[in-house]
Amino acid sequence: MNRPLTPYLLSLPAAGLLLTMLASPLLLLLRMSLHRGGQGRVFYVPGTWTLDSYHDVTDAYGLRMLGYTVLFGAGVAVLTVAAGYATALWLRDRTPRRRRLVLAVVLAPKLASVLVVLFGLQLLLADTGPLNRLLQAAQLSDGPVRLLRGPVGAVVGESALIFPYSILILYTHLTTIDPTFEAAARGLGASAWQRFRRITLPLSAPGLALAGELALVWGMGAFLGPLLLGGPAETTLSVEVHRQAFDHSRWPRAAAEAVLLTLTVLACLAAYGGAVRRWRRRT
Amino acid sequence: MSLGRIVTATVGLAVTVFLALPLVYAVWVSFSPDSFLTPPVERWSLRWYAAFLTDRRWTAALVRGLAIGLVAALIAVAAGVPLAFAIARHRFRGRRAIAAAVLLPLSVPAAVLGMGLLPVMHATGLWGQPLGTALVHGLLGLPVIYLIARRHLDGVNPHLEAAARGLGATPWQTARRITLPLLRPAVTTGAAAAFALSLNEAMVSLFLATPTTETLPALAWAQLRYSPSPLVAVASCVSVAVGATVALAVTHRWTRRNGVERTAPSTVAGSPCESIRETL
Repeated sequence: MNRPLTPYLLSLPAAGLLLTMLASPLLLLLRMSLHRGGQGRVFYVPGTWTLDSYHDVTDAYGLRMLGYTVLFGAGVAVLTVAAGYATALWLRDRTPRRRRLVLAVVLAPKLASVLVVLFGLQLLLADTGPLNRLLQAAQLSDGPVRLLRGPVGAVVGESALIFPYSILILYTHLTTIDPTFEAAARGLGASAWQRFRRITLPLSAPGLALAGELALVWGMGAFLGPLLLGGPAETTLSVEVHRQAFDHSRWPRAAAEAVLLTLTVLACLAAYGGAVRRWRRRT
Repeated sequence: MSLGRIVTATVGLAVTVFLALPLVYAVWVSFSPDSFLTPPVERWSLRWYAAFLTDRRWTAALVRGLAIGLVAALIAVAAGVPLAFAIARHRFRGRRAIAAAVLLPLSVPAAVLGMGLLPVMHATGLWGQPLGTALVHGLLGLPVIYLIARRHLDGVNPHLEAAARGLGATPWQTARRITLPLLRPAVTTGAAAAFALSLNEAMVSLFLATPTTETLPALAWAQLRYSPSPLVAVASCVSVAVGATVALAVTHRWTRRNGVERTAPSTVAGSPCESIRETL
């Protein structure tokens, strides 16, 4: 087991999978974005080198979409982490039986299929759906409120897909906190707010940072929520990548958008990492 | 009751209901007797289930999805478990780099991966092959299995392995007799998670879907976008039921064989993997 080759042999299958299915797609994506676009059924013109696609992608329309993608990701991240944290805190104080039940409910959408969740949301939020009928019956609105085909639907849909993960991450981090800390603080006369502020929050900070990071990445890469529940006017870059590749058969442009999305995600992650470090140094 | 408790309880309940409601409603609608997308109240019917089971395209997609899921789980186990072992037990050059790289599939946007895979699949001749989709799903399951196995390995006492070696066992014997049996719960959990992940993976599947590779989510997606019908809910119910049965059957047989105590290093109670297994 101490032969120097062993760890390399053990890592070989994973390294191979990462190289062929992750690294090479990313490299070919970069190359694809530098091709000239084809006409009609031709996806791209092989052997060409041009920056045309990047020029197209960074026009006013493209930049607005980029801004929307970032805002969308940030919104979904804030929503899922804040509400997920409250849910995890609430979950921690339930009896073990209740906790298992709630965890099962929270995880069920992940084990079912994302599409059935989005299908259910489509039905619930429709103009003539139960939610709108409820609103009208309660005299809260005269006509149907448009919940689908807009930013609201997209955010709600994507959040439903991310919530299970953020709740699980936050909950697992909360359960690693030694309960005697809180008991001791209580014995020393700390109020509920003080106990939360001085013990629970700092000790669950790594979980919050991780959940926020993942929610941000997934929110910015959002595809199914905006595609199926969002409007045509505000689309995220992921939706646009799919549209360019499949509806317009313009692979170089789709690839350039994907590269742009990757760079944006990396930039946002760097900014987020810096903000988290500053925050944790302060507390 | 303090204000904080009221707030967390309200939000917690609201989120739980919000997560449960779409699923329940969709399943309810799947028993509708007509093509209106309203939940049945008096007359329930299995009409859409019959429609699903008699449509060759849907059943073929279901079977294909199960096969792809099993292969993807195997690929993820074959790649992820040895890697977790190498990183937990060895110090070598590039260790940190690969430990970081293995988590990347979790955070690369699916549209980016899907778009990049189009030329890869065309170049390698995997285009239109279910194996291509299985490989990608294996990649997506890799970090999950790796994390689960790694956590378990950290809980396994390395002295057990050292003792076996001290008693004259070869490295291979140690791995086969000590490490792998102790790792078995992690491997089963991880494989089940990777299988479930593949079965429900919609985004990359969508980019790679051709008539010969389309799985249920890829097929359901088109329905959902252009002509929503209860078939989508039916497809999901059937796939969950069949998928859970297959996963349980496989893991059950596998954990039974050799009669190893399954509870060995149960240091991960309450972790995501445990919860996933409970729900499965």
